[in-house]
Amino acid sequence: MRTWREVARYHLVMPWLVVGMPWAIMAFSFIVNLVIFALVPVGHHDVLTSHGVVQVASAAHNYTGAVAIEYIFFFVIGVNSIGRSLPFGLALGVSRRSFYSGTALLGVALAVADGLALTALQAIERATDGWGVRLHLFRVPYILDGPWYLTWLTSFVALALLYVYGMWFGIVYRRWNLTGSAAFIAAQVTVMVAGVLIVAWADAWSGVGHFFTGLTATGLTGLLAGLGALLLAGGHATIRRVTV
Amino acid sequence: MTPAISVAGLTRRYHDNLALDQVDLEVEAGSIVGLLGRNGAGKTTLLRILAGQEFPSSGSVLVQGARPAENEAVLRRMVFVREDQTYPDFKVRHALRVASWFYPNWSAELADALLADFGLPAGRAVKKLSRGMRSALGIVIGLAARADVTMFDEPYAGLDAVARQIFYDRLLADYAERPRTILLSTHLIDEAAGLLERVIVIDQGRIVLTADADDLRGVATAVSGPVLAVDEFTAGRAVWGRRGLAGQASVVVVGALDEADRLRARSLHLDLGPLTLQQLVVQAAAQPADTVERTSA
Repeated sequence: MRTWREVARYHLVMPWLVVGMPWAIMAFSFIVNLVIFALVPVGHHDVLTSHGVVQVASAAHNYTGAVAIEYIFFFVIGVNSIGRSLPFGLALGVSRRSFYSGTALLGVALAVADGLALTALQAIERATDGWGVRLHLFRVPYILDGPWYLTWLTSFVALALLYVYGMWFGIVYRRWNLTGSAAFIAAQVTVMVAGVLIVAWADAWSGVGHFFTGLTATGLTGLLAGLGALLLAGGHATIRRVTV
Repeated sequence: MTPAISVAGLTRRYHDNLALDQVDLEVEAGSIVGLLGRNGAGKTTLLRILAGQEFPSSGSVLVQGARPAENEAVLRRMVFVREDQTYPDFKVRHALRVASWFYPNWSAELADALLADFGLPAGRAVKKLSRGMRSALGIVIGLAARADVTMFDEPYAGLDAVARQIFYDRLLADYAERPRTILLSTHLIDEAAGLLERVIVIDQGRIVLTADADDLRGVATAVSGPVLAVDEFTAGRAVWGRRGLAGQASVVVVGALDEADRLRARSLHLDLGPLTLQQLVVQAAAQPADTVERTSA
């Protein structure tokens, strides 16, 4: 039985919550940015030429972090896909396993589609020299700044990662409530601190530095994909004994 | 024939609280069974375990011959409507549409008819429904699913008497058309009594009484009258509880009374009143488990 397909449809029965709202907010943020940078006067600086001092428009690019909204939203959708949806899903005779597969697959599909949309918007942004006001909303230096297929890949991996992370949070909350969620965060912090301590004891800071300075956006995407797989496995292990 | 539900040695412990204590239970396929008991007796925990929503601490649970937990072959053939069911941010029609995808025997006509009966607005957000309306939504899903094993946990919290009667009527009508196993936990015992073919009484996590509803009618009788006459009549009989006031006494006599008993009671000027199912359950829950088992045989 392909229950997971019905589970994915179940999440999409109100498409506004998973598809409409994130893009509505993204559109709003885009317009706000566009208006702001259209109003801000272009900076000028003086250049000394053979004809004397000439004022030249600054080549400043207007980078904003607004695209982060889309990513944060994927985390939120991930959390929501468990919260109130899991109890009704189980009431309808869906197994935890199917619910998890269906929900995760929906997240991956959404990440593919929305990653593609972000890539298309980035292409338009490049073609129009930043929407005519040098606004770089969909182009982020280093990480989302390569050829279109890498932008797509990186957006997809990062969106899927955040969705899966959100799902795991949702499951932990379902299973152990607020105390469990706090412990979950504490455990993550502990892992990070342990990592720092190990690096410090091993006196390996220069190696770590080299690793990160040498890391390409593609390499980072690979790392994120690995982390995503880890989170997916963690969520799966946690949902197995969830009760509603 | 495989029983619809078969439970053996089922125990569920929450920290120091024993919600279910060595429960053994069998429910035949194709019957309407009442699961009766006080608040916190363990009814909901038992139903949640049967529906695979909760896990047992120990013991075995079989629904239609297979373990229900994470077993979709079983789960898709059962429906469990909870009093406290949470729904996503849905409208009524979304909840019904989703439910229709998951139940192979879903009847859209029945769902529509029930919506109309209960006056449930399909376009209303589930969150905005009153308590009674929300219960009605659960009932619509539970009945329209036409699942082989249908379980209702206090399905009518907040429902008015008219709506409850609609529930009983619709349940019986659809049951007659498509027999299935229906497990109904309720506090409104006498109201549902006419519906129930079998009764399971649970108290403090233990099954204290299992019997056919018909067998329970006349299994205990309240005898009241002058103290001396009551004492004379009840001498040597198993009795439950005794209340007395100003020379009058009332005693519950356990066991069926025959014609000679009735004549004797009349000659002693005693009133005989059969115990209703509700009174029986109250008595059963108040007795030590072994006395009840003896009398329910």
